[in-house]
Amino acid sequence: MSKKVLVVDDDQDVRSFVVTVLEENQYIPLVAQDGVEGLEMINKHKPDLVILDVLMPRGSGIRLYRKLKTDEELKKIPVIMFTGIALKSFMKSQKVLDEFQGGEVPKPDIYLEKPIEPEDLVAAIKKKLG
Amino acid sequence: MEIRKLLFVTKFEDLCYDALNSLLALRNASLEHVVFLNVIERDKVAMKRGSGYLKQEEVKLKETANIRFIDWAENLFEMGLEVGAYMEVSTLIPEILKVAQKELPDLIVIGHSNKGALKQLYEGSDVTELIRRTEIPILVFKHRLEDNIVPEKLFQRPLFATNWSDTGKKTVEYIKGLKKVIGKIHIMHVVKESALKSLDTHEVQKVRKVERKRLDDLCDELEKAGINAKPHVYVGDPQKEIEKAAKEYQASMIILGSSDKAAIMERWIGSVSKNIADKSVFPCLLIPGNKNI
Repeated sequence: MSKKVLVVDDDQDVRSFVVTVLEENQYIPLVAQDGVEGLEMINKHKPDLVILDVLMPRGSGIRLYRKLKTDEELKKIPVIMFTGIALKSFMKSQKVLDEFQGGEVPKPDIYLEKPIEPEDLVAAIKKKLG
Repeated sequence: MEIRKLLFVTKFEDLCYDALNSLLALRNASLEHVVFLNVIERDKVAMKRGSGYLKQEEVKLKETANIRFIDWAENLFEMGLEVGAYMEVSTLIPEILKVAQKELPDLIVIGHSNKGALKQLYEGSDVTELIRRTEIPILVFKHRLEDNIVPEKLFQRPLFATNWSDTGKKTVEYIKGLKKVIGKIHIMHVVKESALKSLDTHEVQKVRKVERKRLDDLCDELEKAGINAKPHVYVGDPQKEIEKAAKEYQASMIILGSSDKAAIMERWIGSVSKNIADKSVFPCLLIPGNKNI
């Protein structure tokens, strides 16, 4: 059975790119354009993988990632971060939030900095989903 | 009322990271979320004869904005702030209102309008239009005139000019939410010269005494909320006197409530708050009245 992959990104061009890559590789793409919609989709569809941007309106990927990784039911969903924000800034942000909110979230499974070639994206997805 | 979320509207030529940085003092007043908005005016990508819609230009402008926002966002993320960004081809004020409706910020920060006098007369200034259409407070950011540098401590020494209107009361509540960032606030009321005509010295002093008492009460109210406040009574043309007081007390910004005049009246005559926001050299925090929409 094909696996469901949710793409959360505010950029229409990026969503189209990832959706095309997913369809060509027999995955079922789901899309959301911001953090709020992303969380709704995750709760509703329980995707097998989330591809997540960071800088978005209505809830960033940093907060959404944190929500996922601190939720007992959702934390097993693998996440590929796909963003222009540097990993160093992402991790520093999580560290500040760890101190401020308590708890500790793990490093993302895979962190891809935009832009990326389709084959590299496919390789990352296959690494997580097979 | 606390400032948890601010909407930072930039064209990059007017407001940049230095301006944003000076607003980060608001973290002490509960700021936790910054939303960037860059509106690419339609005429920059509009159809030109022989070339059609300038899609490539749109992509270029959006990506340029995106690169700036990523850089700014990294800094803010590292401070633990939440950050969002919009880059849209649109018309400035409707787009600000649209994003404000989605994001519900507690403060909108915009740069000073660069429209010429004639354009302002017929179209109105961006500030005027925005304040007429939103209830969200607006900070009209300005660089220091003498050296074009961002005022370092924007909230350190504000001047609040009150006309005792209902909007003034709303403004007082907003100021209380800033208690952790305000060093000392100067509060003034301007008695119009027309109110003193045909009065003798005794009556003039009486007017001053009454206004001073109201200001003292307001200062006491703010002191109770934890804000150091100093009252001042001025006499004359409100716009000129507010500007004068801001200079005398080296205000870091001017805070004003904004009343609603009929749009056409406002365009030709202007209101004190909107004229100051447009013409003053000081940054202005405008608190709009409640709209009956």
